[in-house]
Amino acid sequence: MENLRIDSIARKEKIKLLVNGKEITAYKGETVLAALIAAGYKSLKQNPVSQDPRGALCGMGVCFECTVTIDGIPNVRSCMTEAQNMMEIEIND
Amino acid sequence: MIKDNSKYNVIIIGSGFAGIVAADILAEHDLSILLIDENIHIGGQLLRKIPEELGEYSKYKPEKIKKIGFRFVDKVKNNKIEILNKTALIGVYENNEILIESARKKTLSLKYDILLFATGARERFLPFKGWTLPGVYSTGMLQVLMKSSGVLPAKKMLIAGSGLFLFAAGYEFLKNGGKLQGIMEQSGFLNKVKFLPQLSHQFAKFAEGGKFLARIYLSGVPVKYRRKVIEARGDKYLEEVVVGKVDNKGGLISGTEKTYKTNALAVGYGFVPNIEAPQLAGCKLEYAQEKGGWTVKVNDSLETSVENILAAGEITGVGGAFKSINEGKIAAYSILNKLEIESEKTTAPLLKKLTKERKHHLSFVKCFNSLYDIKKQSILEIPDETIICRCENITMKSIKETINMGCNDPNSLKMSVRCSMGQCQGRTCAPVIYDILHSLCDKSHEEIGLYSVRPPFKPVSIAALNRKAL
Repeated sequence: MENLRIDSIARKEKIKLLVNGKEITAYKGETVLAALIAAGYKSLKQNPVSQDPRGALCGMGVCFECTVTIDGIPNVRSCMTEAQNMMEIEIND
Repeated sequence: MIKDNSKYNVIIIGSGFAGIVAADILAEHDLSILLIDENIHIGGQLLRKIPEELGEYSKYKPEKIKKIGFRFVDKVKNNKIEILNKTALIGVYENNEILIESARKKTLSLKYDILLFATGARERFLPFKGWTLPGVYSTGMLQVLMKSSGVLPAKKMLIAGSGLFLFAAGYEFLKNGGKLQGIMEQSGFLNKVKFLPQLSHQFAKFAEGGKFLARIYLSGVPVKYRRKVIEARGDKYLEEVVVGKVDNKGGLISGTEKTYKTNALAVGYGFVPNIEAPQLAGCKLEYAQEKGGWTVKVNDSLETSVENILAAGEITGVGGAFKSINEGKIAAYSILNKLEIESEKTTAPLLKKLTKERKHHLSFVKCFNSLYDIKKQSILEIPDETIICRCENITMKSIKETINMGCNDPNSLKMSVRCSMGQCQGRTCAPVIYDILHSLCDKSHEEIGLYSVRPPFKPVSIAALNRKAL
């Protein structure tokens, strides 16, 4: 897998997230969206009308294209949520 | 923790430059001040950096204006202002009342003597075939991902759209080790040159723009002018991008198509002010293409048409940090006058100087936004199968047909075809829909008007609303 994290940042605390039950590595302080992208996920949900794959567009809370289920709560914007250790994330890729 | 029905002398919505500069000045006086922002960290879209808990980014050297901004962020955090981050404004009501959804997903009703809107701007989009594919990002997202989380969207990418922001985002991407496959700018090179003399009194901005351009040219990244994205293709995510040449009216020149293999494309077409909250509050708006579209109408003291509501920053005209700092200051001194903390006599010389400065910023606003002029032809050329409203999956074809049936204003169009009715509440497609109506119906933006806005502004859970009927 490509390393998409910028090398020159000395990261502090490594954490784990569960994406559809599978463990991925993240760092405390990253957004859930950043952690998902760094783990190689592009498609995050299906459009409810067309069922087409969708992924983040704006990255700043406007477009709602990066919404996922976090710890059982649906429709959460992954770009506006900080990653926490052992967070359970469900995506529909 | 803030209690329901709390009252503040001043409530500020938005913690970008305008909001924090105003908060900082107001904090020197004996006032109760509340600063609200939806984001994880305060500072707005420009003042983003790697959070302390994430790590040390020793290579990061913010330019002067951002250093000033981060100092304001630190000052605001350390004085007696109450700050609610991760908090969304969901309603504005009569009798100086607002409704918010807190980080703990509770709704709270709050009262103010003075309300200052500093809600900033968001990105403008120009839809093309396949722009809903995962892997098509905004240039803002490219910046946010790198600056706030230290992650690149991909190792290799293409950037397209219009304006200097493409070069700023491209510069950051290169600096962070990304491989930039090219920058496709929709307008001509001469548009930029025309703009330079206007920058004589804005040297810092000129130098910054020059730095981005120089770094990109020196790196050997292909920069192509008069190019537009025709189509993004791919099965489950982006695999290739088709780009074509456009004439000076924005029309595609057939036979000029070129395909780029890439898994990531960042697009940017300028900015639109976030006017929905002031609109709901009843503030008069005005349309000015040279200010970024619909903006909040203000007087020299930045008062809106509604008593005790002021507006500052991008929502009075998209113009960047310098203008927002200036307006943050003006708003703060106007508020001090209104609350009779400072007499008009003491603030008059200061306000006179700031108002004079503001005139210069407004002249910059005019040239800045002219760079983002989306030509009528590029709207008319959007192919029928292109999705305009991403949430409800509404195509250009449905919109055109519904307009032809007689729905020639935003609200009847929305009722008939469901555009702008999804989760983003039209934040992404409304400016495009207004441009389509303007281009197809041959009516002015004032004649077309705006979508009506109702609370809640943002999707909010039933559980959070349970405690208060809207």
